[in-house]
Formats: sequence, C-alpha cells, structure tokens
Amino acid sequence: MLDEINHIALIGGLMQQMCVYLVIAYLLSKTPIFSPLVQVNVRLPGKLVCYTVFSAFCIMGTYLGYQIEGAIANTRAIGAVLGGILGGPWVGIAVGLTGGLHRYSLGGFTASSCAVSTTVEGLIGGCLHLYLLRRHRADRLLHPMSVLITTLIAESAQMLIILAMARPYDQAARLVAHIAAPMVLTNSFGAALFMRLILDRRETLERYSIAFSAKALRIAERSVGVLMQGFNEENCMRMAKIIQEETGVGAVAITDCEKLLGFVGVGADHHLPGSPIASPHTFWAIANNEVVYADGAAVPYNCSVSKDCKLGSCLVIPLRGEGNRVFGTIKLYEPKRKLFSTLNRTLGEGIARLLSNQLLAGTIEEQKRLLAQSEIKLLQAQINPHFLFNALNTLAAVIRRDAEAARQIVLHLSIFFRKSLKRASSDATLKDELEHVDAYLQIELARFAGKLNVDIAVPDELMPTRLPPFTLQPIVENAIKYGISQLIEPGRIRISAEQIDNVLAIHIEDSAGLYQPTPDGDGMGMNLVDRRIKIRYGTNFGVSVHCVPEHSTRVTISLPMVMEPVPC
Amino acid sequence: MLSALIIDDETPSREELKALLASASDIEVVGECANAIEGLAAIHRLRPDVVFLDIQMPRISGLEMVGMIDPSALPRIVFVTAFDEHALKAFEEHATDYLLKPIEQERLNKTLDWLRSDAQPKAMTLPASVSRLTQIPCTTRNKIFLIPLDDVEFVHTDQSGIHVSSHDRSGVTELTLKLLQERTALVRCHRQYLVNLEKIREIELLDNGSAEAVTHTGKRIPVSRRHLRDIKSQLLLS
Repeated sequence: MLDEINHIALIGGLMQQMCVYLVIAYLLSKTPIFSPLVQVNVRLPGKLVCYTVFSAFCIMGTYLGYQIEGAIANTRAIGAVLGGILGGPWVGIAVGLTGGLHRYSLGGFTASSCAVSTTVEGLIGGCLHLYLLRRHRADRLLHPMSVLITTLIAESAQMLIILAMARPYDQAARLVAHIAAPMVLTNSFGAALFMRLILDRRETLERYSIAFSAKALRIAERSVGVLMQGFNEENCMRMAKIIQEETGVGAVAITDCEKLLGFVGVGADHHLPGSPIASPHTFWAIANNEVVYADGAAVPYNCSVSKDCKLGSCLVIPLRGEGNRVFGTIKLYEPKRKLFSTLNRTLGEGIARLLSNQLLAGTIEEQKRLLAQSEIKLLQAQINPHFLFNALNTLAAVIRRDAEAARQIVLHLSIFFRKSLKRASSDATLKDELEHVDAYLQIELARFAGKLNVDIAVPDELMPTRLPPFTLQPIVENAIKYGISQLIEPGRIRISAEQIDNVLAIHIEDSAGLYQPTPDGDGMGMNLVDRRIKIRYGTNFGVSVHCVPEHSTRVTISLPMVMEPVPC
Repeated sequence: MLSALIIDDETPSREELKALLASASDIEVVGECANAIEGLAAIHRLRPDVVFLDIQMPRISGLEMVGMIDPSALPRIVFVTAFDEHALKAFEEHATDYLLKPIEQERLNKTLDWLRSDAQPKAMTLPASVSRLTQIPCTTRNKIFLIPLDDVEFVHTDQSGIHVSSHDRSGVTELTLKLLQERTALVRCHRQYLVNLEKIREIELLDNGSAEAVTHTGKRIPVSRRHLRDIKSQLLLS
C-alpha cells in the first residue's frame, strides 16, 4: 500500500502542516512568552521556557503529521532541533525525549525508533549550540542557514535510525524511501523559517529600543540645563517645546502644583500658561503621586477648559523633587483622531525623571548661589566695625589740623560704604573694584600716615573686565591687616593686573611677607573670595599666594577674561 | 602732676589723644611711641605714671606688651582701642581702664579723675594670657625684630644690655633676665645667663665644679656651680 503514497501529495501535505505550525509560531511570537526565545539562552529560566515551548511544538508536529502505514510523516524535528540550538544540548535532549516519548505512546512499528531519533535530533541541535558558543560565534546560531543545514543533518540521521531500529526492516526501508525526501526538506525549511520568525521578532524589539533611546537621548541633550535656571513659565515653555518636537505628540504641558507653566501644541489657544490647573487627572496625579493615563476610551478624557478642544487622550506624570515630593506634572496629549504610542508613554515617564533630576540640580545650584551671597554679607559685616572706628578716629584727629583733608576722608568713607552696601548679586568691573579699593586705601593712608605706600598699576584696557563684586577689597584689606599694619617700619602695597591668554591675573603684593596660611581662621576673607570664584568659574581659577617670608606676600587672583559689553 | 606715655602705631591717633590730654593741666605727656618695642624701652627709661596703650599694634599687641614690662617699672595702663574691647575681658579685674576710639573728652576726664584719685599704682597681677611670653622683641643697631622663644638658645646680660641669641641671630632686648625667667621656659644657669634646655647638646664639667653647656650650634654657655645641680636634674627629667 505504500506504493500508493503520492510523493507530491505528501510534500504538499507536510507543507500545509508546516504552514499551520508556523502560523501558530507567528501568533505566539506576539506574546511575551516568546521574548526569552529571541536570544541564545544560557540561564535556567530561559532554558525552561525554551524547553516548554519547543516541547509543545514537538508534540504539535506529531499530531499534525500524516498517518502512513503505522508510521507518521511529521514536522516534529523542528521543535527538537530549535530547542537544542537555542537552549543547548540538555534542553535539546529534554525536548527530543519529551517529543519522542509522546510519539512512542502513539505506537506503530517506528514508535521506538522515532523516540530515539527525536532525542538524537535535539542533541544534534544542542551540539551546534555548544560548538558555536565555545568558539564565541553565538551570533551564527540564529542564522536560518545554519538551522537549515542542522535540521537537514538531523533528519537524515533520523532516517538512518529508523532503518537501523524499525522492524521489519523491509517495511522500514520502504517507508524511508518514501518519506525521507519530503520530511527532510519540509523540516529543514520549516526550521529555517521558524528561525526567521524569531529573528524578525528580535529585530522589531531592537528597532523599538533604538528609536526609544535615540529619542530619549535627543531630548536629554536638548534639555540640558533648561530647567536648572528655574522652574518658571519661560523655561517650562522652552522645555515643553523641545519635548513636543522630539516626541511628536499632539501637545505637551508642564505644570507646578497650582498652575500651568508651559503648553505647546494642539489646543495652545485655550491652554494658557499661568492659568490654574483644571483637569481632574492632574489633580489626581499630584494628590496621589502617580501616573494617570486617560486614553479617551476606558478612561474618558475631556478637556476641562474648552468643549471644542481637539485633544482626546492624556498622560499625566508627576514631577518628583527632594524626598519624592510632587512639585508639578508633565502632561502629554494626543488629539482625538490619534492613538497614544506605547513608545511615548514609556518615554513620558523617562522625561519626567529627567526633568525632576534637572530641577533638583537646579535647586542645589540655587542653594550654592545663596550661600555665596550670604557669605558676602558676612564679609561685609566683618569689614565694618574695626575699619569704621579707626577711620572715625583718624578723622577726629585730622579735623583739628586740616579741614580739607578731613573733608576728603569723609568723601572716601562715603564712597567706600556706598560701594560696600551695593547689592552683591550683580557683576562688577575691575574699574568698580579698584574704585572701592581706592576709597578704602585712601582712608588707610590717612590712618597710617607715612607708614603706608600704595602703588596701583592696572592697564586701562583691563578696566572693563568683569568679576564678582567684593573680590579685590578683602584681599587688599588682608594685605593691610596682616601685612603692612604688622610692620614696624614703613611698607608698600602694589596692585597690578595683567592678561595672560584668556585669564585675568590681579596681583596684590605687600612688602611685609608675614602671610601665614590659616585654613579657616584669619584668612577668612581670602578663602571666601577663592571659594566664590571657584563656584562661579571652576577650580582652574581662584586665589593663590606666594610668600617670601619677611620680604613680600603676593596674592594673585585669577579669573576668566570677560569684558563688559559695550553699550550700543 | 602725672607723667604720661602714649603708645600707638597710628600718628593721627597719637595726635588726637595728645590734643585731648592738653586740656588737663596736671598731665604731662613725656613721650610717644609707635610700637611696643619702642614703648618698652621708653617705659623702662622714662618710668611714666600712666601709659595710654593702643591694643592693635604691629607684631606685639598692647596686651602682649603689658606682660613684657618689668614689674618694678609697671605703670598704670589705660588701653585704647577702636573696637576690640572684648579682648580686655581678661584685664577687667586688674586695675586698668580702657578708652574707645574716637575718644570722648568726658570719658577721658573720668579716666583722668580715677588716675588722680589713686596716684600710687597698685601691684598688678597679670592675667595668665599675657604672663607667658612666646617671643622676645629685640633690636640691633638698625632693625627691630622678634625672636620666637622656641628659637632662643640663651639670653645673657653684660654692661651693654641684655642679649638674646638664637641659632642665626642675636639682638638686644628690653626685657630683664628676671622677667624672662619668670615668664618663659628659659632656665637660669648662671648669674648672667638664661638657657633654653631644648637647645643644649652637652654639658662639659670643669675642674672647679662649674660647667659649660654646649648648644646645638656649638656655642658655649657658662653654668655656675650653684645652678649646675638644678640644670642636671631638669635635663634628666625632661
């Protein structure tokens, strides 16, 4: 009866069977079960999934097979070989054994030979796995061609095993003569196609993550520092614009806990920055510190501002600051005709984290700035009493003998205090600083009459250079207080400035040479100046001291050259 | 009549005080000094009844200077300061007064009344903060400088004055041996010598029972019989 087997019909049948098989595989590839299969599995959980899935395919291959004379023409080999290739020899053997035992249970004269051969097929797949892994060519494992060849070998082996084991031999020989070619071909192609399916799935995943990281990176790059300058309407508008451009969503909004700070995109005509939050979703997100997704179907979304709003779905993500406290939200919208892409939903949460971190960093910057400012205040407060009373005492003496000189002292004193009391937030120019210092020195000159000599040599072209206010005066004051005023003989202070490449170097040199490094003690003024410059311009700049004991102390302030913009 | 000395490094400050004192007919300003070292010499030379002493002065403050005045010559001290009257806390119970710059005439008059009423200075015990010296002011012909006590090898006296020697320099000081012995770690080894035990390398015993101390830099200092035992025991102890 075997003679009646139509070879073409058998190949067609097996091909059909394979199609059903592959459709099932395709559907399965859309489920999460499949994700461990898209890579070579080295760990146990992946291997288990591998075993289960491919065993199922193995058994399915048998069921879908054709009964031929007590034997079954089938596509069982695909499961066993792929199990071995993706899971390794043990998984291969296990899958083969499971499929084989199942086949054995169905009976027939090839039952035992098929059970053995299926196990061997799994082992052959496993051997390829082991061989390529050892040679660090795991990438070849997923190649459809290598799968095709392996299955070809495995099926040929099966045929030989049937010939060797199945009895009666002549019946086995006839069976093999008929089914060998169709089975070898269909199984090989089937396995190769199955692998192609796996590869497709893998490529899709990769494309998705590439697109995702590219977008995320671009947003991160473009938004660097935007919110660090402050969480206000201007910066939020800029940020929202960047996010909308990069994600391509219908609209983007950023809010604090009370009002809208920035809105870009569809509906910008009625979602106005500065207006209070109206959306219940936003309130919910803020109150519960959780992401709210109103897809417009399961969770209805209606614009709370205008009935004509074209926006149809909305994702609200809370922005979290210190201690996970919510300080605002970021909202992504899509118009009614468009669906929210999963990509943008995931990205949205990442963006929220990015913004939160930026704002946190901004707060730290702000605190640093405040600290620097309060230090200036301290510096100013520190200046006054000693200097003031000594100056007044000098004045009292000078009034007796020289009214005009006394008047000059009063004027210098008023210049000095006016400049000292000026708000410390803005920048000063070198000229401002020198005027401040000059007023100070004029008073000291009167006080130490004859004991102090002052020499200021700063080129005119450096005068517009910008520097933080109160940079020069504390250093000059130190030079007097710890330098010249400690000299028994007369002393000299020399102030000079030069430009070295892009660095402004201001030197304050006294002829005392009595500098003693005191980390936080008396040199406080100098340390503060140094810290402020370093906070502002980085550690390449700051204050350095060169002291030749008993001869001279030279303090150098180095700053980046920034010129006062010429008013136009 | 009270004789007064003004010690202040600021010329205008001295002028002002002099002008204020001019109104009091029974106060005579016998001298002015611009630093503590000159001041010490002037006190020892002029023996004024009262010293108006600025606190903020180069190298040796007014407070430190008080600890350097020979107790037998100690005048009454009126501190003058612009702001750091808190530094005077230690002196509160030590029969002194202070004036704040700029000085008010009325306030000065009160001080003068106090000085007149109690013209005989009391023996003043100094606060601990100034009764240990850390440096010795010295002069040479043309220079004034300070030698840190740790650097001093020995101090000796001869007809020309009291000499302080360190490893690399020496100078004449206004401070007496007695005062240095009391207020420093220097040890008497001879009627005319004080020595810093830290600087002694060896002691050579002589036939007559006296000895010579040799410093690390090889200078030889006489050690009299009377002080030898004392020095030896201190060296063994230290």
